[in-house]
Amino acid sequence: MNKLFPTQEIGSLAKPAWRVKAFRGERLSKQEIAEAAIWARRLGIEDTSELVKQLSAEDSPARRKAVVEWSGMIAIRLLEAAGLDVVFDGEQWRSEMYEQIIRNVEGFALLGLVKSFDFRYFNKAACYDKSRYLRSFYCDEFLFVKERAERSVKVPFTGAYTLADWTFNEFYEKRLGVGVSDHRRGKFEARRDFVFDLIENVVRPEIRKLVEAGASWIQIDEPAATTNPSHDEMRLLVEAFNETVRGFNCTFSMHNCYSNYEALAKYASELQDCSQLALEFANRDSQQPGPGDERKGFEKLALFEGHGFRGNYGVGVVDVHTDFIEPPELVRDRLLHAARIVGDPNRVWASTDCGLRTRSWEASFQKLRNMVLGAELARKAL
Amino acid sequence: MVDAQTSAGFTHITDGMLKWQDLLRPFAENLEGAKPGSLVRWFNNNTFYRKPHITGNLCYVTPVTESVAHIKCLPKNGHWKTILPAPYTLAQLSENQFYKNKTELMFKYAEALRTEIENLARQGISYVQLSDPALVYQPDGVTISKDDLQLAGEALHSMVAGVQVTTCLQTFFGDFAGILPEALDFPVDHLGIDMYETDLEGLKDYVFSKGVALGVVDSRSSLIEDPDRLAAAATSILDSISCKSLDVFICPNCDLEFLPWERARQKMNAVTAVAERLRRALN
Repeated sequence: MNKLFPTQEIGSLAKPAWRVKAFRGERLSKQEIAEAAIWARRLGIEDTSELVKQLSAEDSPARRKAVVEWSGMIAIRLLEAAGLDVVFDGEQWRSEMYEQIIRNVEGFALLGLVKSFDFRYFNKAACYDKSRYLRSFYCDEFLFVKERAERSVKVPFTGAYTLADWTFNEFYEKRLGVGVSDHRRGKFEARRDFVFDLIENVVRPEIRKLVEAGASWIQIDEPAATTNPSHDEMRLLVEAFNETVRGFNCTFSMHNCYSNYEALAKYASELQDCSQLALEFANRDSQQPGPGDERKGFEKLALFEGHGFRGNYGVGVVDVHTDFIEPPELVRDRLLHAARIVGDPNRVWASTDCGLRTRSWEASFQKLRNMVLGAELARKAL
Repeated sequence: MVDAQTSAGFTHITDGMLKWQDLLRPFAENLEGAKPGSLVRWFNNNTFYRKPHITGNLCYVTPVTESVAHIKCLPKNGHWKTILPAPYTLAQLSENQFYKNKTELMFKYAEALRTEIENLARQGISYVQLSDPALVYQPDGVTISKDDLQLAGEALHSMVAGVQVTTCLQTFFGDFAGILPEALDFPVDHLGIDMYETDLEGLKDYVFSKGVALGVVDSRSSLIEDPDRLAAAATSILDSISCKSLDVFICPNCDLEFLPWERARQKMNAVTAVAERLRRALN
């Protein structure tokens, strides 16, 4: 980008009730239909008659497809109207960052819900066989976004290390006969086999399709990157990233959040062709605007510099787990502070901590709008 | 949740902790001087907790777990069990902005936990498990210092000395051998060991005069273990340590919240199956 502090979202936005219910084949209330139309008009989509017609129709494959496209379309406009430089569709086409891949690949069985945090749960799978690519899971969505977006497009892609970490590794642990006494070593060896099979059989085939379809920036999402911050596991993460991106003519970056940044910083410089690390900081930071001492949440950023990472940083200046709307001045101060730590404002992007899927569209829009305004203030200050 | 435990044949029944967002939250929310802070990963798992931020003097003003407990659901027969965080883990996972160090904070937590246990005892709880993963979780291989271990033991003492419940210090996510031999003298009735994270060679030849809770069923794997193999593993552990107490518990290695419901039930049945095999072998 030829400006300081370009702005981006990480990936997901909430799925509104009308998107979820209509996709499940349910009827919508008048209020739900009105909500969709209001958002569309507010974001500059003047003719909403087709949207209302689809949402009012009986369930059919055509209605479900139309609903996904409409929510994707409105999400693109929401991100653009907020003023972001890089957009996607809020992952409206995806069931969820994990399930979207698991459901489209052979070798997995979804076992049921387990806790992720508070009272939020995700559907966790076990792998019972080697993974096998069945059908494309991101490409149609990318083509849809590419055709409609007026800004640059970044494709979020759940990484192999995280897919493996979030899955019960039945096949490979059984194959290696992992028992009680050799459990720790065995579990690691089984995970390693699992990760590299996933990269070869699932991740790289899809990246190839995305690149052929014109994707120019793919963000590898690895929220699980530092779940096991031992040397062996961190080396595996690095090798997995490098193998994932090897040889493709495309820009790659990595996103990680709510993690151990001491561990990640130590290994970040070994990530090859990682143009940007998008990291979470707002969650750790004070909500008071101000320079220096107020910005304790950002202290770990210095570790990445210290360990020699020389790519850009997507700096989380917006907390995605609170409805507190960051004032532009707070965003500005966070960005300026990050720029001082990095020593080069050209390497700092304004970003959310993570996807905004747990916030309402209203809160998300206000937060993103203020992030854009805050980035402008930071630019002016320099 | 209670029915699943009684029908699996468990002797000690908990309420399942369904209303706990995380192990620390009731304390972060209900102790004066604490508040829930940033979202942080729960050890090496894909679950997260809110870090308690300590901004003032910690005061016990209201029963902590009462609002999240379902004591009325517990069955008439069987021992009622509650799980609380141990003071060391509470202090280590908190952001201390008030006390001069985490040791001081740990002793303040111990005071609050003591009042909580006394409250629970009055309501009929007879068994309290103190979960202490921070004591053994060492991803970089560095074990806790001897000084810190001694302080952790002293905090436990100030918390449980003289209380009218049976106590178990349950360790998980790490190697129990790392806290030996000091843990053998901790002022609790039972010691819990995560068999999947513990180097079993490292337990050999220690004399356990307390009861042990053997975490032989893996709550973080969906594969249902073969009870015969687990019973054999448990037997070889019990043979290799010198266990003077008759209190041997069979349990999962950590909370079953890492498993979907059906698998969790199967794991509970595996726990009972292992216990039955061991009982049979003894008779």
